[in-house]
Amino acid sequence: MQILAGPIVQILMTAIGFSGGLALAAAGITLIYMTTGTFNFAHASMTAWGFYIVFSLYKVLLGGNPYLYFPVAFIFSGLLGVITYLVVNRWLLKRGADMVTLMMSTLGVDLAFFAFINIFADYLTATYKVNTRLIVLTTEDIILGKIGTFPFKAITIISVVIVVGMALFFYLLLNRTKFGIAFRITVENPALASILGINTETIYLFAWFMGGAMAGLGGAILSLVISGTPTVGNTVIVPEFAASIVGGLYSIYGGLVGGFLIGLSQKLIINWLGSVLGGNIVVYEPIIPLLIMAATLLLYPEGLAGIDWRRIFSRSKSSRR
Amino acid sequence: MMEGILEYLYNPLVLSILVNMAVFLIVTLSLNIETGFAGIPQFGRVLAVIAGAIGAGAIAGRMMAAMMGLPAGIEYVGDQNFVIVGELNKALESNPLLSIGALILSLAVAAVMGGIMGYLASYPAIRLKEAYLGITLLAFGDALQIVGMYYDPLAGGTAGIVVPDVFRFVGTGEIRFLSSTLIILGIAILVYLYVQSLARSPFGRALKAMRDNELAAKVYGKDIVNLRAKTLIIGGALAGMGGALWTLYTGSFKALTYNRLTWTFWPWAFMMLGGTGNNLGIVLGTLVFSTVRSLIYAYKTELTAFIPINPNWLEYLLIGVIIIAIALFRPQGILPEKPELPLSRKKIESIRASLAKGD
Repeated sequence: MQILAGPIVQILMTAIGFSGGLALAAAGITLIYMTTGTFNFAHASMTAWGFYIVFSLYKVLLGGNPYLYFPVAFIFSGLLGVITYLVVNRWLLKRGADMVTLMMSTLGVDLAFFAFINIFADYLTATYKVNTRLIVLTTEDIILGKIGTFPFKAITIISVVIVVGMALFFYLLLNRTKFGIAFRITVENPALASILGINTETIYLFAWFMGGAMAGLGGAILSLVISGTPTVGNTVIVPEFAASIVGGLYSIYGGLVGGFLIGLSQKLIINWLGSVLGGNIVVYEPIIPLLIMAATLLLYPEGLAGIDWRRIFSRSKSSRR
Repeated sequence: MMEGILEYLYNPLVLSILVNMAVFLIVTLSLNIETGFAGIPQFGRVLAVIAGAIGAGAIAGRMMAAMMGLPAGIEYVGDQNFVIVGELNKALESNPLLSIGALILSLAVAAVMGGIMGYLASYPAIRLKEAYLGITLLAFGDALQIVGMYYDPLAGGTAGIVVPDVFRFVGTGEIRFLSSTLIILGIAILVYLYVQSLARSPFGRALKAMRDNELAAKVYGKDIVNLRAKTLIIGGALAGMGGALWTLYTGSFKALTYNRLTWTFWPWAFMMLGGTGNNLGIVLGTLVFSTVRSLIYAYKTELTAFIPINPNWLEYLLIGVIIIAIALFRPQGILPEKPELPLSRKKIESIRASLAKGD
């Protein structure tokens, strides 16, 4: 409802912040999927932990500035990923478990992490007498300036900077370092990679750390954009999945682009529909990413990254000629 | 003796275990057909379940109201819901035959609704693979829940609706819950027998062939598209009945309670624990899990004294750990899948013996 009242500039800024968080988390899902073939349900709780880390450290335990705790969220959720890999995923991969078992095992991990978030939230409530069941940090963001009469919040810029920085980091890592080459070989052909002396376990460990960490960072960004409860992971996991799938599941950049596609369209389309059809339509917001995902998959069964862009480009060039 | 058993059954904890087990058995068996036999990653089980629940609660209820000349339009799910359903209940209470008819009508509508959802799901299911398909099905289920939650004219939206009590003919109070539980258990047993016969039929073997090697199944002339669509329709219809029975038992429908976790992921956990592809294993897995869940639920207050955390989270933690443990240590489940014999073992042996004699 609040979104409706706001003018387009403000909606766009919220949408950008939201998309940034989504994009990071989606790229994390993609990263884990392309290396280990595991579609990670535990991303829901990893995102939610990022959200709660920022909330608890900033609002309850330490104070200061919410952005100070972004690295903490990054590392904490990254460690959750490492735990998931070392305790569960590693053994399943060694056994050559099928996709469904890999997926379901991460669901078990997600339920356990979800329980821990709630236990942590209960602890905070009992010890510090704060409401941990409805968290609103959106009003606590740093205001950089004003566009017209509307506050220009720092998260809009910072989320874009983080996403671009992450894309740049992966570009340099994958194309300019030995580790990146090893990573790409492992994705292409794990058996061949291990014959060449590449320790695929290091690659998998890296993927799980970065995947979890990006979910945590995404959650940290989202904490300044949307209000949340301990079930926030459950709410955002669907657009995250959608973004990752739309991105094609085999390209980190695809995940990032998918996040912006899903996030921007979710917020902007619902706003547009709200202004055309009336405010009642706003509750259907969560359906929009699902529709976009379904439409993309039915047109391109392997997502955006599955499209041969070069061929489309050359075809359009040749037709012009 | 009989009275002793009855007294035991009146125990609300036993009833809760039984009814949970029966309803989830139906849903999990339907999942087993699709995932265990046919290998479709059905992460959208809730889709057909919720469609069945809406079918029984909102659509069959409206049909009954229309037949009795009561308002069946938007009033049925609105403020008048209580009054109309009250009238219907009076009629059902006085006429057992009508009540049984209403039960059958509700189940039939639910099965049709679930079947339609299965048919819709077959559209992506024949085009997409593995993770893409699983997540698309998951998205379908979530989308229907959101529509059910916010589109009031369908089934009352967030407030939900009360549902005609088709079990009313045996009375009210304890005896109603006992007999409805037994009826649901009976239906669950019928569903089990049906799914078991399906597994032993040529259709069941074709599904397993398709799961194990799609190309080989194609070579032997199996129509993959047709098989998948049929599987999803049968599975959807059964799951719809499961959802309908839960709605009829509780006497109300609220879209909020038909969430992804309870109606997709729990059945998955039951199936994995019992043994994917083994119907008897499904029974075992469902029994174990529903007993554990009901026990935690029943002894919540007592548990709070012993452990420092809220027992709600204990349930999540426990089921999470069980899922991980199954995946790690016994991926085939407690009772692993084994080949289903088309005839009884004795018959096969005797045929083999007579063939040997003939030579």
